Amino acid sequence: MNMLEIRGLRKRYRTGGTLLHPVYLDAVDGVDLTVREGEFFGVVGESGCGKSTLARLIMGIEAPTAGEVWLKGQRIDSLPERQRRRLRPKFQMVFQDSGSSLNPRKRVIDLIAEPMLYHRMTTRREAKSRVAELLALVGLPEDMMDRYPHELSGGQRQRVCLARALGLKPELLVLDEPVSALDVSVQAQILNLLRDLQAQLKLTCIFIGHGLAAVRYVSQRMGVMYMGRMVEIGDAQTLFRTPAHPYTRALVDAAPVMDAQKREAPRTALSGELGRRPESGCPLLLRCPYAEAACAREDGALQPVQGGGGHLSACMRAMTPDEGGAARA
Amino acid sequence: MEARKPLLEIRDLDIAFGRGKKAVQCADGVSLTVNAGEIVCVVGESGCGKSITALSVMGLLPRQGHVTGGSIRFDGRELLTLTEREMDKVRGRDMAMIFQDIMYSLNPVLTIGLQMTEGMQRHLGMTREAAQARAVQLLGKVGIPDPAGAMRRFPHQLSGGQRQRVMIAMALACGPKLLIADEPTTALDMTVQRQILLLLRQLRDEGLGVLLITHDVGVVAELADRVVVMYAGQCVEAADTQTLLTHPQHPYTQALMAAVPGIDDPKERRLYAIPGAVPERYDTMEGCRFAPRCPHAEGCGKQPGYDAEAAHPVRCERREDA
Repeated sequence: MNMLEIRGLRKRYRTGGTLLHPVYLDAVDGVDLTVREGEFFGVVGESGCGKSTLARLIMGIEAPTAGEVWLKGQRIDSLPERQRRRLRPKFQMVFQDSGSSLNPRKRVIDLIAEPMLYHRMTTRREAKSRVAELLALVGLPEDMMDRYPHELSGGQRQRVCLARALGLKPELLVLDEPVSALDVSVQAQILNLLRDLQAQLKLTCIFIGHGLAAVRYVSQRMGVMYMGRMVEIGDAQTLFRTPAHPYTRALVDAAPVMDAQKREAPRTALSGELGRRPESGCPLLLRCPYAEAACAREDGALQPVQGGGGHLSACMRAMTPDEGGAARA
Repeated sequence: MEARKPLLEIRDLDIAFGRGKKAVQCADGVSLTVNAGEIVCVVGESGCGKSITALSVMGLLPRQGHVTGGSIRFDGRELLTLTEREMDKVRGRDMAMIFQDIMYSLNPVLTIGLQMTEGMQRHLGMTREAAQARAVQLLGKVGIPDPAGAMRRFPHQLSGGQRQRVMIAMALACGPKLLIADEPTTALDMTVQRQILLLLRQLRDEGLGVLLITHDVGVVAELADRVVVMYAGQCVEAADTQTLLTHPQHPYTQALMAAVPGIDDPKERRLYAIPGAVPERYDTMEGCRFAPRCPHAEGCGKQPGYDAEAAHPVRCERREDA
């Protein structure tokens, strides 16, 4: 069953211009996405690609300009605030900056218990034992309960954020760069915890990040975003091995390689930087080493890649196997 | 291979914050060498003393921090005995530093051109015109599109990757022999990070010595000629990059590498999470400082030795069985 379905989701911001000639930016530009129940779906992309806006649209922190968001068969993007609030426990979010997502003047026990009390999912009497359970679940000792956020390390704070979200027994958890601010050793602890939680609780989760390997580590399926579009979606195990889109290829090639021999292999490099958007056609047009004249007429819709398995790519140009890619159907 | 001469030699460097009874020692006997035309990476978790070591070379320690022992020799001169005025002539001219925080490293109200030329006019006595010409040339070299136009822009008009390139160009302005880079790519996007790494590699090949501070093992693998691993204020292992990556000997180095997910990992692989965290106060610890987190620790109550002159020094008593 599909936990989350997104159809044609778009978010347009005004970025400048004059009253009569405004300039707009489509931070999310027509995204279709399905996340299955019990699945970890990873979203990777560089800053400014729209991945965080996508998360905010799913959570209803921002209203989409167009498109629909369905959670378990119920449309949630157009709900009035009052009804949405009642649904809130079902979809929860954890942010990158654990420091600013925890009220510095509240103790851990109150931080975790408050949302549960608000949504009447526990009573004042039971709150303490419930918080203790949640702390154990995320691997924190019980005596952390009486601490304030500043007394915790970054990794511990992120665990508290996770415990707070899990307290509401969410059906969908959205994690926006939850490990990006952490040291490698702490990052490994959190990634392992997420993996264990998924196996234990059958969580459905959207994991957003920019570190390819970290996102892949916890995901079953992944999507690659570029300039507000989903350019490739596929199985996490194979997506990076046989990317069909030149942008995915370039991301994989930009990731540092530990093995000296593999490092000598030719790599795709993108020229320029994010931010320049072509007038029409494929969003990667100006940076892509394989761009052809026909790419300027391409609409960038996701299409199945040869070999199937739900692998979708937005590149019309078939990447031949010697370029390390899967051929298009 | 050509004979390399040591450009930077740090020996037994001790750095403390505060004085007297309240002093906290945050670097303890740090030794490392950077040769010309070589990239040396210092890796470790936050709070292990890597940035403080780099700042001390530049003579830029925060006010409470001071060097309490050891030596820093640069190009044959002892830096620690230089007066502030003498140091001022070395800093920015013979060695330069770039920081992670590109937002705060450029003056937001001055044009790129003004900031680029200031150092050249001051250190090299160049005229404004000559300095401007060189600045344009340098901006082109680091890959800024339309260098002449960029001279008239303000930092906020550039992207993050371009700002980091400007920082590198500025650091190169006076033709330094040594570049110290503190996490230069951490704030950048992957494809831009790759471009900056390639640029640093090119500069190294042109003879620049680079001391690179990073916590990213991937960056080390891509860039470093030699690696120094720091933990809790001490060097714990040093070797050439290939040896270190394929045969890490210190349990901390091994743990660091096992904690990083790889892009081709098999599904079953589980990351090794180093238990606990870097201790906040490590200068009062007895015995091996990594012992509380070490999977192999057993009776490691004695402070292990470290021979910085060896080819592959390892600060571990149990080196053989680790």
